[in-house]
Amino acid sequence: MKSCRRRKQISIAKMAEEQQESSQPEVEGVNCLAYDEAIIAQQDRIQQEIANSNPLVSDRQDLAVLQREYADDDTVYQLKIKDLHKKYSYIRKTRPDGNCFYRAFGFAHLESLLDDSKELQKFKAVATKSKQDLVNEGFTEFTIEDFHNTFMDLIELCEKQPTLQEVLNSFNDQNVSDYLVVYLRLLTSGYLQREYGFFQHFIEGGRSVKEFCQQEVEPMSKESDHIHIIALAQALDVSILVEYMDRGEGGTVNHHVFPEGGDPRIFLLYRPGHYDILYK
Amino acid sequence: MENKYNLKSPAVKRLMKEAAELRDPTEHYHAQPLEDNLFEWHFSVRGPPDSDFDGGIYHGRIVLPPEYPMKPPSIILLTPNGRFEVGKKICLSISGHHPETWQPSWSIRTALIAIIGFMPTKGEGAIGSLDYTPEERRALAKKSQDFCCEACGGSMRSALLALTPNSDPSAEDDQAKELAQQINFKEESTLSRQPSESGGAENEPSTSSQGDPSSSAEQQDSEGPLAEQAEVSPAATEIEGLNPPAAPSTGRPLSPRQRRAQQHSQRNQREGREAASRPPFAPAPRPPQEESNAGSVVLIVLLTLALAALIFRRIYLAQEFKFDYEL
Repeated sequence: MKSCRRRKQISIAKMAEEQQESSQPEVEGVNCLAYDEAIIAQQDRIQQEIANSNPLVSDRQDLAVLQREYADDDTVYQLKIKDLHKKYSYIRKTRPDGNCFYRAFGFAHLESLLDDSKELQKFKAVATKSKQDLVNEGFTEFTIEDFHNTFMDLIELCEKQPTLQEVLNSFNDQNVSDYLVVYLRLLTSGYLQREYGFFQHFIEGGRSVKEFCQQEVEPMSKESDHIHIIALAQALDVSILVEYMDRGEGGTVNHHVFPEGGDPRIFLLYRPGHYDILYK
Repeated sequence: MENKYNLKSPAVKRLMKEAAELRDPTEHYHAQPLEDNLFEWHFSVRGPPDSDFDGGIYHGRIVLPPEYPMKPPSIILLTPNGRFEVGKKICLSISGHHPETWQPSWSIRTALIAIIGFMPTKGEGAIGSLDYTPEERRALAKKSQDFCCEACGGSMRSALLALTPNSDPSAEDDQAKELAQQINFKEESTLSRQPSESGGAENEPSTSSQGDPSSSAEQQDSEGPLAEQAEVSPAATEIEGLNPPAAPSTGRPLSPRQRRAQQHSQRNQREGREAASRPPFAPAPRPPQEESNAGSVVLIVLLTLALAALIFRRIYLAQEFKFDYEL
């Protein structure tokens, strides 16, 4: 009886020791390092999941697919989708990876130029010149020229009257697609920095325009806001219409044209944190 | 080298360009790929003037990921310098003061200038950082000139252009300081991966852990999602398996001693005081310890009582009648 109790005591002591040992690395591990690694791993897993279920740029789908994304009794969204139906019939989705605005813009714009060679030539001239503007601003030529070349390759592809599928394939090639995103980010950054006198009033957190560009524009996967859209639209002299659909009351979708007063050829749908392409 | 790599791979294209760009040493930095591996470079940087690193020339490795320049390079210093640990990867931090800041338009040159700019900043106990005294750093700076790299054959005395009285360090210096403010370096914790990588690179460079970069890049082209998945899973398992093996050598050399000291003081405290005065930190290991402590006290008391009972009984039995009388 006594020895039994004793064994129990010992085993408790052992357990306590083990517990202590196992909890030590944990205490030790609560440093920024393990934390960073865990965040990176989790972000990678999330990105992978997103990548597996969403192409970078999807086929054109009937707008009705939107209705199925929300519950029938989600009246705010269902009413707004109905409102959207009055103006648009199709949607093309982009992968929600933080680069969706640039990809949606890039694809929608080139697609709109496929049957308008005059506009395409005008756009090509702007695009060709854009690299020198960036170099003049202090960007290193040899680091940005690969991105610029990819952008020009895509424009030249559009000159050859390709099928829509060919353009879509290029946009779904991760290398090509990401390089295009990098270049559009550089153009956005370049324009913001060129016009810093105007844009610095819209930047939060006491950052300079340059800091903002280095933290929120140039790194991949950083999401885009009004300020990015205005800058890119003006940098490339393209008009963009964005339909805003969120949880706000009212039953109608509000839109905004960038820059104001333009005659937009491309239409994007914004839902909090994401952009897709709309078609009339 | 040209034949060995897939020139269509964006990383290869870019690295070729950077190699040409950095071919000639400047007064402040020089970097070139190893002869047999475009994805591993060796560099030398001059310690910034007006700092404890003045006069030092420091050597290190740069390892480029297959996704470069979409993903940042890793930097490993090989010369003892008193600011960064030697042989440990330094990479961009995401949880530091600034969010992840690597930009695809940056280059190896950017990374070199950032390292120079980062040397005089305070380590402040950050992982992978060292806070040596100015004297130690100056001594190391002097010694650094004697360093010769076996892998790339570089000798620090001739690695960089000599400084001339006309040379103006301030332009590079300002750029370096500015960059250092943006970038956050930290030591990477992947101790498990590092030895295999360095082993692969130094012993059998052509089959280093990046493999043949051109083929891996090709693979990515054709089976993007699959390759990515393969890449993700080791990272994930690395994290899960990270804590136990990494704990004893997290790169904080004082921590085991600190831990022991902490435990020691805790024990003293416990002996002196009641549980109510428990310090708020490290609560996890304490309660079980207290339990086992109380348990052994009970055990000792019980055993002592049992022993006393046995002795008493023995005496009682031997001298029964006497006790009888007295009782």
